[in-house]
Amino acid sequence: MLGPLSGDYASYGQSVANGVELAINEANASGRYNYVFVLQKEDTRGDPVQALNAMNKLIELDRVTAIIGPVLSGETLTAGPIAQDAGVPFITPSATAPAVSEIGNYEFRNVITDDVQAAQMAEYAVRVLGLRRLAILYSNNDYGVGLRRAFEAAAVAAGGQVVAVESYLDGDTNFNAQITNIAARNPDGLYIAGYYTEAAQIAQQAALQGLRVKLMGADGFDSPLLIELGGAAVEGAIFTSGFFADTQDELGRSFVEKYAAAYGAKPDMFAANAYDSARILIEVINRVGPNRAAVRDGIAATRDFPGVTGVTTFAENGDAVKPLYILRVENGTFVQER
Amino acid sequence: MFAQQLFNGLVTGSTYALIALGYTMVYGVLQLINFAHGEIYMTGAFAGLLLVTVAKLPFWLALPGAMLIASLVGVTVEFVAYRPLRRSSRLAVLISAIGMSIFLSNLGLWIFGPATRSFQPPFRVATLELAGIRTNTLSLLTLGLALAMMTGLHYVVTRTKLGKAMRAVAQDRDTAALMGISVNRTIAFTFAIGSALAAAAGVMVGMLFNAVTPTMGVMPGLKGFVSAVLGGIGSIPGAMVGGLVLGMAETIGVALLSSQWRDAIAFAILIVVLLSRPTGLLGRRLQEKV
Repeated sequence: MLGPLSGDYASYGQSVANGVELAINEANASGRYNYVFVLQKEDTRGDPVQALNAMNKLIELDRVTAIIGPVLSGETLTAGPIAQDAGVPFITPSATAPAVSEIGNYEFRNVITDDVQAAQMAEYAVRVLGLRRLAILYSNNDYGVGLRRAFEAAAVAAGGQVVAVESYLDGDTNFNAQITNIAARNPDGLYIAGYYTEAAQIAQQAALQGLRVKLMGADGFDSPLLIELGGAAVEGAIFTSGFFADTQDELGRSFVEKYAAAYGAKPDMFAANAYDSARILIEVINRVGPNRAAVRDGIAATRDFPGVTGVTTFAENGDAVKPLYILRVENGTFVQER
Repeated sequence: MFAQQLFNGLVTGSTYALIALGYTMVYGVLQLINFAHGEIYMTGAFAGLLLVTVAKLPFWLALPGAMLIASLVGVTVEFVAYRPLRRSSRLAVLISAIGMSIFLSNLGLWIFGPATRSFQPPFRVATLELAGIRTNTLSLLTLGLALAMMTGLHYVVTRTKLGKAMRAVAQDRDTAALMGISVNRTIAFTFAIGSALAAAAGVMVGMLFNAVTPTMGVMPGLKGFVSAVLGGIGSIPGAMVGGLVLGMAETIGVALLSSQWRDAIAFAILIVVLLSRPTGLLGRRLQEKV
């Protein structure tokens, strides 16, 4: 495993390390496998150059069979090609940049990309909720622009109509002008492509302007602060998320319990994706043996793997395809809508 | 819809005007751009938030409370950072003001942390429609309070002894002192009023946007400054007009273009006005004192 275990992004890397470690300890303790799995952790400090060195060390010195990581998009784009050239399969549990899937056939990604999130929400809004007139308010950064593009395309493809598109900048607090423009087009749904702080304020100001619409968003909503800041205004809002720690799903629940017992905290999406990635690797290695090329083929052939983040299949480009959770704000807490 | 956007701008502009008044009054008496004024606005917002959420005061007590606290902070800033430099160069006082601004926002970060705090109005807010404009009681209250406070200020400045003292100090500090006016007390009073108005704006904006952060004073502080210059720095009616004009121009800019342009529009207006009318919309040409 490699990822940022220290520095600014240490919490992401630590979650990934915990998820992988939990899966490996479980596998070794179960006695069901032909091999004893050993976890070798390398710290990238979130630095692409350091990630390169760490990747080289894992491949040349530790001679690992396969790798979980890197964690951040930037380090995956620099260190990933090293693994690709050396013929070492790796699964990133968290890098969402579109360019990651172009690294090559030894690269796998077990996290839902922003595009897929936006597309699934658009389809759900049009096909299931029956919303027809949709408005988009996006944050003018990579995340918001990517979500906006995918949402608009999928909404139109599903038969909906995008009646208004407005933007804002992160850190803005006054959204009245955009909301007035949106309200003038009478939408029945508003997709906010951004993070929870602005989303909560937008919800509040929309309510003050008397705009009554279904509020939707992506994993940028996924923070208790959404509810704390938004209060009654975000009640009923829905958003896509790769993982839900309070899931009713049995597999997910047992993972959350085991994780909490081991690390004293609820797992986040990083830990859950890493846990699933490690379990996929363990199954594949157990089946085909510790041969790098054979393991690559084994991962690529993974179909309908029952993961805690959903039933997972790897597509041609190495991206995992799995259903997303759609969560809803209800009585000041998150509940599972789908 | 245009009317709706104008109304949005009017509400925003009225808060800019409240902030601008502090700049313009202080400039009047000290010829100083008080760059710490945005942080006084932030202090007022936090004071209001704490009075409502921690002290559980009703709004009609919390608002004056927040104004009082901000006044005390404003007067303290004047006492600590500006008064000792009364006879120094204007540049020294300006740098002291910038230092105070950085100090106060960092103090806020240290005490309250960087996260945005929610500021839910402690009363029920109803949405309503007036002549085709959708609005709510909170926006109307903001606008009403701002207009009332501006009227009150106008009365104080033109009709009271203190106002007369302020105008005298603004005209000529030394002669005013010779006439028996306590210059330091008048200046402190000016800071107190300006800070109280900024605090009122901070509390109302905090509730309108449901967000209070230690860095919230930076942009509105600059906007208030722009409003003051726009209207003619040193002119009290100018600050009011400047704030309203800026708020409406910005909102319409965001509505027609996009929100990236909000701040660019504010400063573009400033540049255009200064090029065509260097003394601002309502400013008077003053002769430089030698």
